[in-house]
Amino acid sequence: MSDSVTGWALAVVIVGLALSTFVTRTSFLIAGAKLRLGARVEVALRYAPVCTLAAIIVPDILIHPPGAAIDLSLLNPRLIGALAAGLWLCWSRNILGCLGLGMAAYTLARLYL
Amino acid sequence: MISGVAMVKGGLAVHWAIMMSLLVYAGSAQLAALPLIVAGAPLWVIVATGLITNLRFVIYSAALRPHFAGLPWGRRAALGFFMTDFTFTRFMLSAQEGTLPEHRDAWFAGVCSNNWITWQLSAITGIIGASYVPTDWGLEFTGTLALVALVGPSLNARPAIVGAAAASVVALIAYPMPFKLGLFCGAIAGILAATLTDAAQQRRPAQSENA
Repeated sequence: MSDSVTGWALAVVIVGLALSTFVTRTSFLIAGAKLRLGARVEVALRYAPVCTLAAIIVPDILIHPPGAAIDLSLLNPRLIGALAAGLWLCWSRNILGCLGLGMAAYTLARLYL
Repeated sequence: MISGVAMVKGGLAVHWAIMMSLLVYAGSAQLAALPLIVAGAPLWVIVATGLITNLRFVIYSAALRPHFAGLPWGRRAALGFFMTDFTFTRFMLSAQEGTLPEHRDAWFAGVCSNNWITWQLSAITGIIGASYVPTDWGLEFTGTLALVALVGPSLNARPAIVGAAAASVVALIAYPMPFKLGLFCGAIAGILAATLTDAAQQRRPAQSENA
């Protein structure tokens, strides 16, 4: 992975991410009492993480390696692993089980399909 | 622990992974930033993605403010920084039940420091453990699965489902855009769709009353 972010650039990324954690978590705790959260804004903030994560996960599963065509077939090991993990989540909230089953399905599909 | 494994198997050197875990201390933001770091995305795209993933904490901090209003600035900031999804939920549950002790800030600091230590120990275990595992085991996929496990339970309301679906479709269509900007188009489309769905849900009961 020669083009990944490394060295000082990575240090800047880490500091930037740490600042994003600090700013969001402390925002209203250190702001003056006059600042209020509007109802519309609160709705948008509430759904922002789930939308961002979906926008990351779905291409990560369906487009692999990065830059390939969209692979919706059931021969896609990542899709199989993610479906297995998702089905487990419908049945149980146990995260370790979800990861274990997902990795097992992904590995089997990767090796034998 | 999963964030630790995923960071190392995603290609981060052990010392950078440990520093990230200690300083950023936000599992979902780290997991979200990771594929972008590996793909060599521009710095601002990586940081902005982490920021959007962390936006839910703005709501948490607004909910905590009345509880800690009397404290000095530095103490409020420290309690805020060490808050997580888990410690926030614990605090709000105890507040609803009325079981918080008199010194709720000390109680919250205790819950948060406990959580911080456990989380860091397991993250560092994951980082060091993963560095001994061969790359061809495909362990970097645990990062994606961990995000699936994070998103799954929050798909419990219609706005979240519509938003996530819209975000996925737009992110797939916009994938060829440079600088991973397709991710932003997806996120923004999803947030819009979720907000509109929420607004439609709010309106519906009012309409049936009028009729």
